[in-house]
Amino acid sequence: MINLLMGFFIATLITELFTTRLFRLIMWYSLNSLFLGLIAIYNGYLINDKAMFITGIITLLVKFIAIPYILKYFFLKFNISRNIKPGLSIQYAVIIVPIVLVFTFYLITPLFADFIHSNYVALSISALMLSLLLMIEHKNIAAKIIGFLSIENSLFLLGISATEGMPMLVELGIFVDLLMLIVIINILFKYQGE
Amino acid sequence: MYFIFLPSFLIFILSFFKINRILMSVLAAGIILPVIYILNNPFHNEFFYADKLGGFVLLISSIVGIGVSLSLISLPERVNIDEKDIKLFYRFFGIFWFGLIISILANNMGLYWIGLEFATLSTVYMIKTKRTTASHKEAWKYLIVGAVAISLILFGIILMYSSAKANLGENAMNFYVLMKRTDKINPFLFEIGFLIASVGMFVKMGFFPMNLWLSDIERAAVYPVGALFSGILESAIILGFFRFSKIEYMINYSHLITFVYAYSIFTLFMVSFLLFRSKDYMRMFSLSGIEHMTLISLFWVSGGFFAALLHFAAHAFFKPALFLSSGMLEQKGKYIFKGTLKGYKNKIVPLLISLLLLGVISLPPSPMFFSEIFGFKAMIDISKGSSYFMWMISAVFLILIFLSVIFYKFVRVYQEALYEGEEKEKKVYKSEILMLIMFVVSLFSLLFGFDYIKGII
Repeated sequence: MINLLMGFFIATLITELFTTRLFRLIMWYSLNSLFLGLIAIYNGYLINDKAMFITGIITLLVKFIAIPYILKYFFLKFNISRNIKPGLSIQYAVIIVPIVLVFTFYLITPLFADFIHSNYVALSISALMLSLLLMIEHKNIAAKIIGFLSIENSLFLLGISATEGMPMLVELGIFVDLLMLIVIINILFKYQGE
Repeated sequence: MYFIFLPSFLIFILSFFKINRILMSVLAAGIILPVIYILNNPFHNEFFYADKLGGFVLLISSIVGIGVSLSLISLPERVNIDEKDIKLFYRFFGIFWFGLIISILANNMGLYWIGLEFATLSTVYMIKTKRTTASHKEAWKYLIVGAVAISLILFGIILMYSSAKANLGENAMNFYVLMKRTDKINPFLFEIGFLIASVGMFVKMGFFPMNLWLSDIERAAVYPVGALFSGILESAIILGFFRFSKIEYMINYSHLITFVYAYSIFTLFMVSFLLFRSKDYMRMFSLSGIEHMTLISLFWVSGGFFAALLHFAAHAFFKPALFLSSGMLEQKGKYIFKGTLKGYKNKIVPLLISLLLLGVISLPPSPMFFSEIFGFKAMIDISKGSSYFMWMISAVFLILIFLSVIFYKFVRVYQEALYEGEEKEKKVYKSEILMLIMFVVSLFSLLFGFDYIKGII
């Protein structure tokens, strides 16, 4: 079940790479967070960990609902161009994505013997690299923000799956920082330079 | 011990009311008492870990904090900003300082990261204090680059945590426990984590290939931002690098050395020639900051702990002092070197600035001279009698070539500033003279503190 959800997670992330419209990108990001939250909830149910259950619910509330809604509001309010064309054309991206996936699985081959969650580690690292690719291929600032939020998601995926939950303090810290990031983005949009 | 957070917190609170800039500096100076208490009483608990190393870094960053708060007294006279902006600057300065004290004292790796993230996000606004198009653009750039670097660090931290969680449980998040129990760590997972985290740290310190963003940002922002970056932010980051690399040191030393040497020497190569072509003080200083960071990490991984700490301390005093004095040097416009050291009524100011300018390229008796001698000695020592001795000799030789390029540029700029160009009258405020004297005195006191620094590790 976790493998299935993780597959959906990666699939939505890859779809983000090929999207050319801003609001579609936000939608794929929110679906990505939905699968992340479901993984957390299901994993919390499996290993009977209340803290992870709570993390999953907060993820759903903040990343699946609140952040996409707020971002959409910002982009409408400040008239951001909604046509975002990736700098990297699709035929190259189609080649690069499988290379990244295969490379990360190759990278962690020494782990297969003595670490149970090794393929979760591989998937998280590939999610990190794909999100970095998303940031690199776009010139538009809005798309770069979504890329950063996807990096945050891949961090969470690693924390949830490979380590079976980080200390609660760290997870709450990450959420507080995300909210602060949104405030800063608002300030930056508001006071454009003269 | 928790009084250490009081000055930065008070600065944050008071920034909501009418600003008295001298009062703020007095408050900031109050940090020195809890720092002395922590230096004398090392301790560690679940969240905080103040050993001698942490205390030393804390002392240095606090002195820099006091210096920056002194320079803020004359900021509105130098740069055209209004009352509301200076309030916001103080507010975010408070958050920045608070976050970095947390991360310097942190025992928990997650807490270390949270402090860094607070500092990163608060700097975004400090860059934007000057309302220009360039600073707006650079603030966005910093938000993106800084946030990516920080997320890479967190990714590495989680991997390191997962490498030891099976054996150590939640304690795997603590620096103190990890350093004591390296045998319980899964080496491969830890190494991937260390690699990703140190790439994040190197990006944050401006190593190759991200060697241009730092100088762009410091050019576009008001000048205290550069001082905060080089004095406080980089101290916290290099402390994290010290701690992580000490664990990696015990796991796989040859990987550590190869990785850091390749990365650092290539960065040094890029930076030295970029510095040679730089046309203004800010860029010159920030590129030289990157150069010193590469040297510190090289010395540290070569086992020259004393050299690395001395170099780090000296750099943390030199660079903020230079950044802050660039406010005085650039009174008659940016992109000018000629005649910037002439025309001061008070003769002590050009003397102090020349001392700083010549000291930062390690002209004796600057502390950097001694740290470089000891550092190169440590580099030769680890390779003595082994098969890669010739490689090490050539690495030292290459580094010396790059350093001499930088040396040449600084000396030429100094001569241009002192002897060429026409003499124009320049203003200097009392707080700035006080700040310069404070930094120079602390640099001289480093010369007498060799025994103390040797005792840290």
